[in-house]
Amino acid sequence: MARTRSKGAAGTAAASADKKVAKPCASVYTLPAESDNPPKLFILPKTASRSARIVTLQHPRYSRPTRYLVCPEAGFFEFTQICPPKSAPRSWLIQPAANDDNNNGKPPLDTQVTQSPALHVATPFDPLFLLLPALCATTTPSAGKRMFLSADDHLDALPDPSRHLAEILASWPATRALIETRLAAVCDVVQAGDENMYRVSEAKLLGEVLRKARRMVEEEEGSGTGGGLPPSMEERFVRRELEAPVLGVRVARGRDGNVARTVAGEEPDGSGGGNGSSTPGEESAESQSSVSSVETTASSASAVSAVSTAATSVADDDGVGGGEVASAMKAPEEVVKLQRLRVAFNFVCSSYVAPAMAQMLQESLAKATGQVDFKPLDEYLARLANMRQEAAAARSADFSRKRTMDEEEDERVEKRRKKEAEEKAKKANMSRGVKELMKVNTSGMKKMSDFFKKKT
Amino acid sequence: MLQPMLNLKPETPSGATPKATPHLLPCRVHHNGSVEPNQSFWDPKVGEDGISTAYFRGRKLQGKTVELPDGCRGVVAAVSAAEEPSRRPEEADVIDLEADTPQATLQVQAEFDEMVVWGHEAAVDASADPYMRGVEEWMALAEKIHSYAAPTSKEK
Repeated sequence: MARTRSKGAAGTAAASADKKVAKPCASVYTLPAESDNPPKLFILPKTASRSARIVTLQHPRYSRPTRYLVCPEAGFFEFTQICPPKSAPRSWLIQPAANDDNNNGKPPLDTQVTQSPALHVATPFDPLFLLLPALCATTTPSAGKRMFLSADDHLDALPDPSRHLAEILASWPATRALIETRLAAVCDVVQAGDENMYRVSEAKLLGEVLRKARRMVEEEEGSGTGGGLPPSMEERFVRRELEAPVLGVRVARGRDGNVARTVAGEEPDGSGGGNGSSTPGEESAESQSSVSSVETTASSASAVSAVSTAATSVADDDGVGGGEVASAMKAPEEVVKLQRLRVAFNFVCSSYVAPAMAQMLQESLAKATGQVDFKPLDEYLARLANMRQEAAAARSADFSRKRTMDEEEDERVEKRRKKEAEEKAKKANMSRGVKELMKVNTSGMKKMSDFFKKKT
Repeated sequence: MLQPMLNLKPETPSGATPKATPHLLPCRVHHNGSVEPNQSFWDPKVGEDGISTAYFRGRKLQGKTVELPDGCRGVVAAVSAAEEPSRRPEEADVIDLEADTPQATLQVQAEFDEMVVWGHEAAVDASADPYMRGVEEWMALAEKIHSYAAPTSKEK
């Protein structure tokens, strides 16, 4: 402890040497008492007015009370808490802006530390999702006779643990109107007297969710990413999913028994997924050279598998591929688009829709071929699964012998490691005194027990 | 167990909320509250490439400034205890409704429109950092998911 402190003081002194910190001594300042109510950080929409409230509503997917920001003018916002993983501890240091002249030079706020690294981000939220549990309740028991109900009845069916929803609906007519509009968007509406009656319509609901998914994948002009999904999502769920396995592992044995083997599981070169239609020149050259090197080392070239998509096309063009070249697939643009749409749809379903209803939506999406036809994508995925299986089979056949040896080796290593760990633990438990006494040569000394013997 | 309904309340009635810059340190600090005076240990300098540098307890930190997207503001706020409804005469008409709902205030202490994400020795990777992705990617995506046809609701 003392060591770190002195180190820290030295560091800060170095950092602000020009400011002449009085002494590099930690005791100059006393730390103010810890506040029991540390401030939190929020990112809020500017559109939310003064009268906006933070309320607790039932989450439509997880059925847990969740915080929402509701504003009579701007609508609903959900809070997402950004929190880093435990492995990367973080904390906030909130520093006030220095140039406040209107406060007589005195900063209006202390610099503060908040231990919790949470950042609460409010993002727009479609109140439609909040209504779904009520609509779902009327859907599941008997799908045959669904009743037209008034908006009030639907809202009464909503679980509202803290009664916040009822309260804001009662005090803000605009919010109520908004809710009714959203209800009408997914329901068949009939006029009964001066009141509208609503009944959920699966087709309308599907259309609404699909419209959201379409919006998510809509390409923004100017962004060269090819698709509206954020880059990390595009990479993880579109590019990786559609990526053909790299079959560079298939062994090609020459007569002299040497084995040419390219690295298994290597990622294909950068241009997967979105905009792979054009193959950059240097890339093709590179993959071509790798193909030819395989050819030369494996002189007989009995079986050469595709190295990557780019390599296949080059091999075909130049007629180099002497052996059988497995067709590593390249996803056509149409398939990529469909995959994006499906990812978006599933994302909406799995984030905001209760599982039962999400399943229903997915089934009806599969049936609704008139709106969007996933057939090319499904076919592509089936072929891809086949190919992956083959690749896996080829790989396991190759490595089966090696693996058994590895396992034996592993066991031995494991045993040794265990032994070492035990010894270490034993040593760690010993006190320093005992450890040092162990080095003492006790050969000429009396045993301890001698002193306790009966005197003769 | 019931969470109270929260009112957002600005620091001063005039609306002149002080500005602040939150710094996300790459370490956990086991302290909540004021750490004044800060000049002795926190003196970040902005480099010409937009990466700021600071030395914190002898460690070199590099920070990336993240601007908040248009249309949102950052707020530093603390929940203060529930207050008596009678102290807000302008809402007298809803008091009877709110009688059994606990109310509390979210006291805004400062506003910010950019934050600095610090990394140890090196600046953080924008594609991997949850904060940068959350602010940049998620906010844009959420906007798309949750947009709905607004005009009909405005007519009413």
